[in-house]
Amino acid sequence: MLEVIIVDDDKIVVFIQQKMITNHDIASNPISFSKADVALDYLNEQRKEKKNFLIFLDINMPNMNGWDFLNYLENHEEKSNYHVVMVTSSINSKDKKEAEKYSMVRAFIEKPIASSDCEKIKEIPEISHFFERV
Amino acid sequence: MRKKSGQLKVLVIEDNPGDFILIEDYLSEEHTALEIQHAETFKIAKEFLSSANFDTILLDLSLPDIKNPEVLVKEILALSNGAPVVVLTGYTNKNYGMKTLSWGVSDYLLKDEINASNLSKSIHYSMERKKVQRQLYESEEKYRTLFDSSPLPMWVLDRNTLEFLNVNQAAIELYGYSREEFMQMTVRDLWVEDEESIEKTVENNLHDFFFIKVKHFTKNREMLYIEVQSNPILFGGREARVTLAHNITEKLKSEEKLRHSQQRFKALVQDGSDVISILDKNFHYAYISPSAKNILGVNPEQLQGSSAFQFIHREDRPYIEDKIKFIGKVKSYQLPPYRYIDGKGNWRWLETIISDLRDDPAVNGLVATSRDITRFKTQEKELRESLERYDIVAKATTDLITDYNIEKDTFQFSNAMYDIFGYNSEELDTSREWWKERLHPEDYQRVINATEEIFTSQKKLLNIEYRFKCADGNYKYILDRSYVITDAEGKPSRIIGSIQDITERRKYINAIERSNERLREIAWTQSHVVRAPLARIMGLIDLLKNQRNNLDNIEEIIDNILNSSEELDKVIRKITNKTEEEF
Repeated sequence: MLEVIIVDDDKIVVFIQQKMITNHDIASNPISFSKADVALDYLNEQRKEKKNFLIFLDINMPNMNGWDFLNYLENHEEKSNYHVVMVTSSINSKDKKEAEKYSMVRAFIEKPIASSDCEKIKEIPEISHFFERV
Repeated sequence: MRKKSGQLKVLVIEDNPGDFILIEDYLSEEHTALEIQHAETFKIAKEFLSSANFDTILLDLSLPDIKNPEVLVKEILALSNGAPVVVLTGYTNKNYGMKTLSWGVSDYLLKDEINASNLSKSIHYSMERKKVQRQLYESEEKYRTLFDSSPLPMWVLDRNTLEFLNVNQAAIELYGYSREEFMQMTVRDLWVEDEESIEKTVENNLHDFFFIKVKHFTKNREMLYIEVQSNPILFGGREARVTLAHNITEKLKSEEKLRHSQQRFKALVQDGSDVISILDKNFHYAYISPSAKNILGVNPEQLQGSSAFQFIHREDRPYIEDKIKFIGKVKSYQLPPYRYIDGKGNWRWLETIISDLRDDPAVNGLVATSRDITRFKTQEKELRESLERYDIVAKATTDLITDYNIEKDTFQFSNAMYDIFGYNSEELDTSREWWKERLHPEDYQRVINATEEIFTSQKKLLNIEYRFKCADGNYKYILDRSYVITDAEGKPSRIIGSIQDITERRKYINAIERSNERLREIAWTQSHVVRAPLARIMGLIDLLKNQRNNLDNIEEIIDNILNSSEELDKVIRKITNKTEEEF
């Protein structure tokens, strides 16, 4: 199964993303974290479950930012089970380039998340089979 | 050994007394001076033969103490000491007689057919034949001695196959092959090169004498130059040729050496860079070396007898005359450089050393060795002009020109040192240490590293900006462009620097860099701080527009839009303020 989690320190952004994710049938009840380190703890707990995770990740966060978070996940054996969608307010091409270095990153979205973004996420090859209509 | 001529000493080996008497009679009939010994048995004959020499031995083949005629004949021949053996036989079988001849006897006579005359004839013929045989043997012996003990290497070759049939000791010693090795070889194994032409010579003179110069290898591959004389001979019945090999390697080597030394001498005198001349006491040319033709473009022979002075530049003559006063007092002296008119009418600069060899009968004059230094003089002049130009440039430019001598560790500064940095001559020190002390601490390591590269990686050009301390303690930004001059071995010897005061320019650049920095900050704020609330507003409005039916609390969403708008407004005000700040 595919579990969806949102990592962003901005509550309004989390609210918008939750609405979009549920309305586009990506997940019925996505879990959200305002702190990256808490999200990391959660993923560590779930390591044995062999679950797939779709992670909506913000870059600019206090304490642990999106890059730190990615670097930690890089060391996980379950790396291929993590499907990261970078969500950022920056329209900086440097960030986009940086994100391409991580194999887990499947998409790069500029805020605010749009309906078209949600449709594209469902077509990501690594996770598309979770959204196939029965 | 022999008895005096005419006397015949005969041994008759015969057991039959009747036959002996008959033989004795026949012999006595034909010979007056005759000494006959009679042996009845082989045993007695053996005793006779070991104690005396005979001119002829007459042998009966049927003796009581030896039955095998072949053994008997061979025993007697072995004891005969060169005397002919004539066999007397009672058998009438001709073939049997022939067989005895093959064993080595000189003749055979049938007893029944013997008479005084044919016995005597047989004895004489046999003796003559023996004599001729001995002479042949002796001449062969002489030839062998000549061949074997000749100091010149010789060998005998099969005329057709060129195989070695015999070699002498000298050849063995020269080539290093043993006799046995030679016998397995052909002369072709000695050849170094030109095989085809040698084969041809041999072929064309197959039955003739020939002479040829060739190169041979010894056993340990040392090369020899050999003069070969080869004559056809018969050797043991085979068509052969005897070859005399004259080793001329040493001779050629010494000739080569002589030729080299002659060429060297010729090269020195004729093609050398010096003109060597012999002058008489009035400075007239007695001899001038052929190199004068190349160097001065004059004909050496035409110059002979003429005065050397007429070719020297009028202005230079007094200096020369001043010097030659000392002739006779010193053995050798150098003339100051002077101008000499060459064959084409151009002035050449010459430098000359005069040696007084008037005492030497082979020379009997002053030897002048002159060298053309025109090019050197021209370069000297160019260098002087270039130095003058450098001085003018240094004066004309507002840049500071420095000249640092690496070995002596001294700087030379142009006057700009005062104009730019305010140092007057009393405050100046010229060491590298003094210069280093005036580098700005923040630039110090960078400048030192860059200068190190001159020595470590043969960098020729230095182009570096740094701050340098003025006499008043302030720093000035300078652009230092230095060029490294290397000595003949490629080692850096001097560093010439052109130093430009770029303080004004640097200040301006600093200001631009600072404002660029601020612009970068604004851009970052744009993409992060401004975008954050804006993205929120956009996201919320999107929800309101498209998901209105799924929303529980529209009032709260509208409040959030308002808050985010206010936040965005604040951010934009901040940017405006920052932009106005220090521009």
